[in-house]
Amino acid sequence: MIRYIARRVGQGLLALFALESLTFFLVRALPGNPFLGERKLPEHVLAQLNSLYGLDAGMGEQFWRYWKAILLHGDFGPSLVREGVQVSEIIAQAFPVSLELGCLAMLLAIVAGIPVGMLAAWRRNTRTDALLMFCAVAGICIPSFVLAPVLGITLGAHVPGLSVAGWDNPLCVLLPAVALGAVNAAYVARLTRAGMVEALSSDFVRTARAKGAGPGRILWVHALRIGLLPAVSYLGPAFAALITGSFVVESCFQVPGLGLHFVNATTDRDYFLIQGLVFCYGVLIVAANLAVDICQAWLNPRLRS
Amino acid sequence: MQQKMSRLQSSRGFLHSCSIARMGLGIALGLLSACGDSDRSADAAAKQGVLLLGNNTEVQSLDPHKATAVADGKVISALLEGLVRPDASDSEVVLPGMAKSWEQSADARVWTFHLREAEWSDGRPITSHDFSYAYQRLLHPKFGGRYAEMLYPLRGARAFNRGEIAWDQVGVRTPDDRTLILELEAPEPQLLRRLLHYTWYPLPAHHVEKAGGMLDRQSLWSRVENWVGNGAYVPREYRLNDHLSVVPNSHYWRANEVRNRGVRFLPIVNGYTETRMYFGGKLHISNNVPPEMLDYARCRAPGEFCRDAYYCTVFYRLNTARPPLDDVRVRRALSLALDRESLVQHVARGAGRAAYGFTPPTKDYPGVADVDLRNMPQQQREQMARELLAQAGFPGGRGFPTLQIMTTSRDVQRVMAESIQAMWVRTLGIHAEIRACEWTAYKAAQQNGEYDISSCSWSGDFLDPATFVELWQSEAGNNCTGWGSPICDARLAAARRAADPQQRLAHLAAAESEVLRSCPIIPLYWSERTYMKSPCVRGWHPLLLDNHPVDAVEVKPSL
Repeated sequence: MIRYIARRVGQGLLALFALESLTFFLVRALPGNPFLGERKLPEHVLAQLNSLYGLDAGMGEQFWRYWKAILLHGDFGPSLVREGVQVSEIIAQAFPVSLELGCLAMLLAIVAGIPVGMLAAWRRNTRTDALLMFCAVAGICIPSFVLAPVLGITLGAHVPGLSVAGWDNPLCVLLPAVALGAVNAAYVARLTRAGMVEALSSDFVRTARAKGAGPGRILWVHALRIGLLPAVSYLGPAFAALITGSFVVESCFQVPGLGLHFVNATTDRDYFLIQGLVFCYGVLIVAANLAVDICQAWLNPRLRS
Repeated sequence: MQQKMSRLQSSRGFLHSCSIARMGLGIALGLLSACGDSDRSADAAAKQGVLLLGNNTEVQSLDPHKATAVADGKVISALLEGLVRPDASDSEVVLPGMAKSWEQSADARVWTFHLREAEWSDGRPITSHDFSYAYQRLLHPKFGGRYAEMLYPLRGARAFNRGEIAWDQVGVRTPDDRTLILELEAPEPQLLRRLLHYTWYPLPAHHVEKAGGMLDRQSLWSRVENWVGNGAYVPREYRLNDHLSVVPNSHYWRANEVRNRGVRFLPIVNGYTETRMYFGGKLHISNNVPPEMLDYARCRAPGEFCRDAYYCTVFYRLNTARPPLDDVRVRRALSLALDRESLVQHVARGAGRAAYGFTPPTKDYPGVADVDLRNMPQQQREQMARELLAQAGFPGGRGFPTLQIMTTSRDVQRVMAESIQAMWVRTLGIHAEIRACEWTAYKAAQQNGEYDISSCSWSGDFLDPATFVELWQSEAGNNCTGWGSPICDARLAAARRAADPQQRLAHLAAAESEVLRSCPIIPLYWSERTYMKSPCVRGWHPLLLDNHPVDAVEVKPSL
């Protein structure tokens, strides 16, 4: 098991290096530069700014310097748009917000998605199944830019404690979490249903039934462990995506999370900030996938060998 | 139903999930039945006298030499004060700020300012050297100030900024701590209006020096926790993409005239979210109601909906380096074929005035109009457009290449382009494609001349037609159309030399007429700001430049 984890970690680090390197070159290939304003900058000012931030050096040198700063000093560099603010500061300020929101949305996706999927599988091909899966498809199809404002103007505007948008009281997290969690709950429900349907029709469940196991035991002890596998492999990367923020939901609820930075940094060509955010996202994806691998190995003994 | 329930309850697990679902439903219904107002932070803030103000985007920096965005200017004006300050109700009036009086030479080239006794927020006195230090910093060739050209009217400023001369050759003199003399390249009768811009504000030299020195771009002097300023407020709390709170500065020279107990700037980019937040009681003044929500906002709160004239023109740039746009007849035909009244009414939803000239009209500059455009009925304009296109060799649009209209990804620009596309097809029989670019790619393409037709807007930094007309000088960095005219350039040069304000405006008007005659641009409309203002706000008046001194705004709970 330890060798299995070590191999996965090694692969993860390699993927992280490839991801970050690719991002480094791709953002610099985009048209424009971080200092491009509505007014054209005089050439000598642009040259001075490029030299101050080391953007006038060759690509190879910039790449080497960037990795050296990360590996030796853990320094992701300054923001090129919000000058005087470090990338690590921006991430440190926004990440806890996205983490709180993402965890709640994830909890919602699990608490709502898995029981619904189980119920639908248990009552497969009945009206209950059709109704639940209709809701799940609706959850996938309704885009968050529709769901978020609707939640804001219905519940947010009228229910005491909740708010239309903003991040100024502890309950502000609820509606964005619902908007963010709904689509994931729907996916989880569908994946759980698919996994459970397959598990419930497999040989070992029939054997369990033949041995006289009750419906509760079949569902919770025998089928669930295998039936959850597709949902678990989805949940890992989904969790990483959730806690690194969502531009649409954050913009609709004015949440100061990472999602807004992700999009704005790209639009503004804030090279160091984009790279820092991609690094952060990459680490989380690698960690989440590792967690999924470990979970799957625990759920499915065949994987351990 | 009964049968279904019993089937569900056959499993203990399901019984359990059912009771959870019922409990959840109960809570939700309970909450809904207790329907009332949700969390209205605007009411609580009004009781405390704090203004909640929508400020469009996150500020780039509180350092006036690193800031370039409009949102930055609004915050910086609350934290720093220049030689003069704006009036709360009239953009054309300039009031004494750090300077208690001033005089100008007969040719308006040398201005002497007498500073009042005032203090920085750390108690140190403000001197003329703080102004000189600030101007030197912004212009310093090693600093890389992005807005350095705002100070180019100073004698020798451009050369110093390019590293060609030393600072002592630049026209900034400080004979003593209380006197500042500005010597200009050319007569500048409008200098006072220019000085309202934040690039002309002083900096606390002692503090900037302590925090890393003049040329340190990573200096932390302007961070909230280190801030030293001379404006009506000092920053208290800052969270990126959430809010920036400022509280009154007890060292401010007019501290007893500040009419609120603080301002909370909220950087809400999404106009829909902002309007929802306003109606949800989260804001006192919003920044922008998007066109699609105008009718809703007007109907829901007619007394709170505001539509103010704004010093901004929405227009199309034509790339005159690319055929067939190098032919003035084609450019004119494209301009004449557009029904501006219809665009204002249906696309901008009434939030603007059809523009037949480029510079928005003001009291002292009524503007120049393209007379053909303004005086003809639309049908006649369209007829003339068809004739011009035929003369250019494209009768009925035959043989005309497909042009590309470049827009940003903003909805209103896309819809505007679609309407214009349809008008050209209907009137001239020509086709145009729409290319929506993300913001930086759009700016890059425009500045490199990689477009046919580009959807643009321009707002003035200060109230002076030169900020609009000078764009069209042949060598101007923001011209981007490839067009230039010796007549226009000569008139602009004459305007820069004129010490008499009336003569200067006449030259600018002549230059603008030349631009309109040659059509390197198609003016569409002068935009208006549409926003919401709560009844609990007093002292907020329409201002052409939208440069509201927030210290004059009072917030009291509405009855």
